[in-house]
Amino acid sequence: MTSKKRSSPSLSGKSSAAEYLSALSHKDALARNVVGVNGSRVSSPSTTPALSIASSSMYTSSSDDTEIAELVDDGLSFPSVPPTSEIVYTTRHSEFGHCSNEAYRYTPHHDPSRPVSGHVEEDPPYYILFTTYISYLLLIIIGHIRDFFGKKFYPKDYRHLMPFNGYAALNSDFDSFYTRRLKTRLDDCFSRPVTGVPGRTITLLDRVSEDELNTFKFTGTKTRALNVSSYNYLGFAQARGACADAVEESLNRYGISACGSRSQGGTLDLHVAAEALVARFVGQEDALITSMGFATNSATIPALVGKGCLVISDEYNHASIRFGVRLSGASVRMFKHNDMKDLESLLREAISQGQPRTHRPWKKILLIVEGLYSMEGTLLDLPAIVKLKQKYKFYLYVDEAHSIGALGAHGRGVADYFNIPPHSIDILMGTFTKSFGAAGGYIAGSHALVSRLRLRSHANAYAESMAPAILTQIIASLSCITGVESSAPSSALTSSHTVTAATDDSRDYRGPVPASCLPSWIELSPSLRSGEEGRVRLRRLAFNARYLSRALIKLGFITYGHADAPIVPLLLFHPGKMSQFSRLMLERKTPIVVVVVGYPATPLVTSRVRFCLSASHTKEDVDLVLDACDEIGDLIDLKHGSGDRWPLEEIKRRAVELVEME
Amino acid sequence: MSAPSSLDPLLTFLSYSLLKVQDIFFQLPGSAVIARYVRSSHQNDPGRTALELILVVFAVRTLLQSRTRTDRSASNFVKLTEKEIDELVEEWVPEPFTAPLTPAEVHELANLPVIQGASGPKPKLVNTGKTVLNLASYNFAGLAGNEQIKERAIETLRKYGLGSCGPPGFYGTIDVHMDLERDIAEFLGTESCIIYSQGFSTVASVIPAFCKRGDLIVADRGVNFAIHKGIDISRSNVRWFDHNDLKSLETVLESIEKERKKKGGKLTRRFIVTEGIFENDGQMLDLPKLIELKQKYKYRLILDESFSFGTVGRTGRGLTELYNVPATQIDMIVGSIANSLCSAGGFCAGSRVVVDHQRINGSSFVFSAAMPALMAVSASEGISLLTSQPSLLTTLHENIRAFRLILDATATVCPIQIPSHPASAIVHIQYRPNAPATLQVPTATSHKLSLSPSKQSNPSSLAPRDAQEFDIELEDKLLQDVVDEALSQGVLITRAKRLRGQEPAEPRPSIRIAITAALTKKEIEKAGSVVRSALVKVLGKRR
Ligand SMILES: Cc1ncc(COP(=O)(O)O)c(C=O)c1O
Repeated sequence: MTSKKRSSPSLSGKSSAAEYLSALSHKDALARNVVGVNGSRVSSPSTTPALSIASSSMYTSSSDDTEIAELVDDGLSFPSVPPTSEIVYTTRHSEFGHCSNEAYRYTPHHDPSRPVSGHVEEDPPYYILFTTYISYLLLIIIGHIRDFFGKKFYPKDYRHLMPFNGYAALNSDFDSFYTRRLKTRLDDCFSRPVTGVPGRTITLLDRVSEDELNTFKFTGTKTRALNVSSYNYLGFAQARGACADAVEESLNRYGISACGSRSQGGTLDLHVAAEALVARFVGQEDALITSMGFATNSATIPALVGKGCLVISDEYNHASIRFGVRLSGASVRMFKHNDMKDLESLLREAISQGQPRTHRPWKKILLIVEGLYSMEGTLLDLPAIVKLKQKYKFYLYVDEAHSIGALGAHGRGVADYFNIPPHSIDILMGTFTKSFGAAGGYIAGSHALVSRLRLRSHANAYAESMAPAILTQIIASLSCITGVESSAPSSALTSSHTVTAATDDSRDYRGPVPASCLPSWIELSPSLRSGEEGRVRLRRLAFNARYLSRALIKLGFITYGHADAPIVPLLLFHPGKMSQFSRLMLERKTPIVVVVVGYPATPLVTSRVRFCLSASHTKEDVDLVLDACDEIGDLIDLKHGSGDRWPLEEIKRRAVELVEME
Repeated sequence: MSAPSSLDPLLTFLSYSLLKVQDIFFQLPGSAVIARYVRSSHQNDPGRTALELILVVFAVRTLLQSRTRTDRSASNFVKLTEKEIDELVEEWVPEPFTAPLTPAEVHELANLPVIQGASGPKPKLVNTGKTVLNLASYNFAGLAGNEQIKERAIETLRKYGLGSCGPPGFYGTIDVHMDLERDIAEFLGTESCIIYSQGFSTVASVIPAFCKRGDLIVADRGVNFAIHKGIDISRSNVRWFDHNDLKSLETVLESIEKERKKKGGKLTRRFIVTEGIFENDGQMLDLPKLIELKQKYKYRLILDESFSFGTVGRTGRGLTELYNVPATQIDMIVGSIANSLCSAGGFCAGSRVVVDHQRINGSSFVFSAAMPALMAVSASEGISLLTSQPSLLTTLHENIRAFRLILDATATVCPIQIPSHPASAIVHIQYRPNAPATLQVPTATSHKLSLSPSKQSNPSSLAPRDAQEFDIELEDKLLQDVVDEALSQGVLITRAKRLRGQEPAEPRPSIRIAITAALTKKEIEKAGSVVRSALVKVLGKRR
């Protein structure tokens, strides 16, 4: 960590690691034909890597890519195995990777005889913890020293932190200390501006900082990088293909906006259609769509519980849930992350003790959990919770923001994964930002409950309703996952908003949707209608997820989370290693962008890098990530796992075996 | 003392493990530097080493303190046996999750208008299959369905796809977002701007990003629901002033100032929170007067321009343009991108410090996926249309005038009142029975205000002294009858839908009309006379 500190030129005795690091990045820079000046990357426009090469027969003549510079093989634009003449890809490799090898597929299934949270969170050696604390300490001390002198010598820079002219500081120096003195050091790793589709690859706008990461300047160049950061589980972030075509048609038909809130002049036929589809998709009677995922939680929870109610919440629940719970005025208790014992003892205590002081029984108890935790990669222990629910009579609210579409053999989320009837969950909430390449969120539940929410949800009355283009993306991507029943195509939208697609038929909700549920102007190719494409996406995602998480463990890293989860956190521990890891990944010959997270989003010592896999990645992409992790892991000392290790080449060779291991 | 001897083995163990740690530590890259630093700092100032150690202990303590700690130690805790707990669990019957719908509620949901196809000035309804004149949807400047915007949106779709697939911090910051932020900042004349992906969630995030526990908020009693939620979650101290009454504001500010002088204490952050055009009734703020007060008493101003941005001022820059006040005099201008730009999302414009602060502290900015690229581009395009075609706003203003002419005349023949400002693009119509017989029992205070104007409302309470009395159920029903009648004559209007029971201060029931520039003056006049005849038909005889 210290080796990267720009602010300490006094550390003249460069440690060997630092020298090695800079030599390495220099080498990588050379390899990319980029000249390093003052540590910043400057490259002439002519060396900009090719932004995108349409490699399918369908798009070779696409005129939309005016930015194709020259055909540089940056390792991302072409598949490593060129397609044969029989295979016709309908996607762009840079958006959605070409992978025709049927072996690189996996169908996830849950073995009921095995415990869900069988995963052990491994502790690192003590010296790691020790040095981690030391480095926080150093950062804090140096930060205070800099503040002390800074206030003396550069009072102008501190004005907004000090009372001024009769106004209290907008943000006191104490409150903002962490941000200014710790987070700023890694600021080049956050909020990196991008352009283009956040698909399999993503294009960064290169920037440099000349003032210790306080401000950035754009160099005007771009870098295309492998994207293991965006929430794009099923790879629907695409500017080409059936979904984008449907969205274009919708923009032509509907324009941009629905012009108002749901209950005040902003309800379109598309809202009704999309809600019916979503309800079917998740196996509930009815669903309500909101234009923002965050607001789906924050504006719904207060409509469900209030004073005299108790909310029991997992300690790692998302900020939007906490926001909503705080607004509701209900009492809150938290239980240890995914710990069913702790939950049960909390339930016993809460019910037996009743409300504080008065000991009156709680009006209702609402348990709010997430299906897949976005920082941990852990899976909800749904079977255990459903058992507890029968005994303790609480209501259950599952936030499936990350699990819907991404989990289960049919992409229907945790209930699908564990083969539990969705009706045993009172409220299924989810977002469309992650698996559907769209935006917004939904609440699904019984007809009575959702109707009540239509009247009580804050968002329904006051927030703008979801835009028609986004609804179309949802309808198209969702029917691509389910497939469409091959009945006679209906002529028009027939459903009225009071009649939602009921799930009264006894068939499995995980089947294809009837064609009458789709607006007639949405055209889907046969492979989409049959659900074939959807199945491939689900199985590719499942393969990639298992491959990466298992391979990282075999390489000796400490990771968290469930093997079937498409989120794989790799533990870094040291705050300084976050920026090192992120920068080294970006400086590789084939750049990779990663998300690093540390305190306060995670506990102090467990800073981590989080990989989000996608169906759009190919096995070779995962191999690239493994190569990079292996090298960087050795370099900055990350391999502290205790399990048995395999050499990298063996891992890559035996990938399929690794994935299929129990 | 026997302590030293019993401590001996512990000490040897400690020094042994310390050595071990030291060994490992020095194998680490960069450890020598740390060691040198610690050593030298210790020589200069041993006190600091002690301080650092305390910090370590503190850090470890924070870490070990579980967030899930239970309060079993509380004095109020009743010890129970497992069997007793089992019985209590067995006995406990929770209330139903939600109350079943009443027939009226079922009816309301079933009759919600659903637009078939595109929304706009003349959409077709699914419910009736008929085309209507639309005075319900927000399309103030008439940008809905604009071909130029559509074209740009489609281009953007083909370059960026739809979703942003991540929050702004994690590769969700797209170049078009930065463009839109710059466009809005330039349009308004502020240093900087930040965009949120939903208008409604914007102000509810902006307020708690700045106002913390112990800070002071002085707010209008009539602010919209989202502002109330933002104030709730901030947990700041709140003082209320009478709705759109700057005299009342001044009294409140004065009394706070007096109190502060008396008590002393440290300077806290102080904010005034109000709206440009009030969502709940369409009244308009006297901005210059407010700026004067805020500067005199040194408050920061959070101004929600959701309904004034894009509707008032020559080119739609909002109240600052209307009153010719530099936007930089308002600390945080919050507005909606969805309402008048017909896109999606919200923004907060202000100084760079104000904006950057939100990039880390605005909950719904940090923890939510960024806005889809094509929405941002549509909004940018909308702004450029507003600036390049001032006729959009002129038409809107003319239409408002034409509509108000008809409506204001109706108020003389019907028991209605129109609280909205004559320039407001949203027009609220309230039922105002003259005959006291239709009132609920008037409370003693309700009519005395004019007699004793010296008595002020209590600033700590949201309820004003001279609360209007109204019968929500009755008025809602009558107004809904007006809405239904207008619809049957081909004009779509809506009641202002409230979250009854959840509203911090129940606003008086009203019909909310949204004027648009997309209809011609003739059509607006026609719609106006339909609304008038519906009002007369339903309410005329109740005079
Ligand atoms: C569990 C959870 N809920 C809700 C949200 C908010 O969703 P959105 O980004 O669509 O606003 C997120 C997104 O980060 C999430 O992880």
